[in-house]
Amino acid sequence: MRPLTEVETKTFFEKLAKYIGRNITHLIDRGDETYCFRLHRDRVYYVSESVMRKATSIGRDQLISLGICFGKFTKTGKFRMHVTCLDYIAQYAKHKVWIKPNGEMPFLYGNHVVKAHIGRVTEDTPEHQGVIIYSMTDIPLGFGVTARSTSDTRKMEPTAIVVFHQADIGEYLRQEDTLF
Amino acid sequence: MDVSGVLEAHKQKFKSVSVEGKVIPVEYDLGLLAAYDQNPVDEAALKKNKDEYLQSLCRDNAQLLFNEIFQLQTISDDNGVMAMLPVPTTLLPREKPLPKPKPETRWEKFAKAKGIGKRKKDRMVYGDASGEYKPRWGYKAINDDGTKDWIIEVPAGSNPMEDQYEARRDAKKERIDKNEKRHRRNLDEAAVATKMDQKAVDKGDRPDMDNVRGMKRKELESQILISKGSTASAGKFDNAIKGDLKPKGIKRQFAPTVADFSKEKAGNMSILDRVVGKNGEDLVNVRKAIKATKSRR
Repeated sequence: MRPLTEVETKTFFEKLAKYIGRNITHLIDRGDETYCFRLHRDRVYYVSESVMRKATSIGRDQLISLGICFGKFTKTGKFRMHVTCLDYIAQYAKHKVWIKPNGEMPFLYGNHVVKAHIGRVTEDTPEHQGVIIYSMTDIPLGFGVTARSTSDTRKMEPTAIVVFHQADIGEYLRQEDTLF
Repeated sequence: MDVSGVLEAHKQKFKSVSVEGKVIPVEYDLGLLAAYDQNPVDEAALKKNKDEYLQSLCRDNAQLLFNEIFQLQTISDDNGVMAMLPVPTTLLPREKPLPKPKPETRWEKFAKAKGIGKRKKDRMVYGDASGEYKPRWGYKAINDDGTKDWIIEVPAGSNPMEDQYEARRDAKKERIDKNEKRHRRNLDEAAVATKMDQKAVDKGDRPDMDNVRGMKRKELESQILISKGSTASAGKFDNAIKGDLKPKGIKRQFAPTVADFSKEKAGNMSILDRVVGKNGEDLVNVRKAIKATKSRR
């Protein structure tokens, strides 16, 4: 367990900013308690200071997980976000997509979102923008990346892909052993 | 007709070419077209009107320089009249430090101690037998160390069946090898001596030959390490060799896990500023604004 280096922090923030933009500030600087990002076995954990201090007494081999896993660094040095961070990025999301009940299951099985399944979209979402995907009852289901801007979507066919799948809460079952 | 009045009027339009009031004479380096005025600056005049004073000072000094140039010897050709500039006298400081004296070879040291000087030898030597000039060494040299003799007497007490030509060739080769070895030793010692304390060298201390070997080893090791990192994967996927060198002293440094959190927070904030931009996203959503104005029309 160690703090992120400058390069790592930059890659991490660049990915995170695609979804929540400058709202990363609210993660770094919280009113209630000091939180920090820690790297452990290539994974980035968002953890409170008190928990982190306790975790220092656990050996590196014995420590499996701590705090909230935000994602992991791939071997090529890119950052991949995990669905476990959904609770945090859903709070500060800038662009949202709501999907109809008939589109929930396909998305939760890891498929992209097609136009027919879309219920509502944040106005003026640009192309290739990170978006949070909600059910119509405002439950966050995962996140993805828009294939087209909102205005371009109107002209598309109902079967065309509008949002590329990145992560969904179905992964809690599908990838439960590698997720945390 | 009297033109003195006209001339006088013409002269009045220009300032005098003679400059007075220089307490210390101005120094010139005409080779560089430079004049050095060492007279102190008139503080009062400078305070009163800076620009005017500086301009007049410049004008006077330039005038003096031109006066000096006009006194030089001139030549005239198609391009006009030209003054012959003397060689510059101003000395510029040397850019690089003086080169260090080369470490002496063993022979040079010995020759110095014995007072043996260098003698200039001619490249070509007259050969009595051939009756012509031949080079002292090299191709078609006069001194072939007897390897080219057409007949050789067998020395007394030696094996009559031994090839005397081969013996001479071997002896020559041995001498060359020996000299080569000494040359290499001189180079090694010189390499160490350049890194040795100058005082020790002046005292005449011999370079430590173990040190030579150690230095060579170190150099070789560093070269091996460089070559190891010169593959496509920067050495990452190379097959490990038993007893291979491990790079020393390259350690990654990470910030301590538990430290001053305010500092970490500030660091993160500054990175965030760089990633997102100081003011965050644009305050005005341009796309939205355009749409709004369009719909109003």
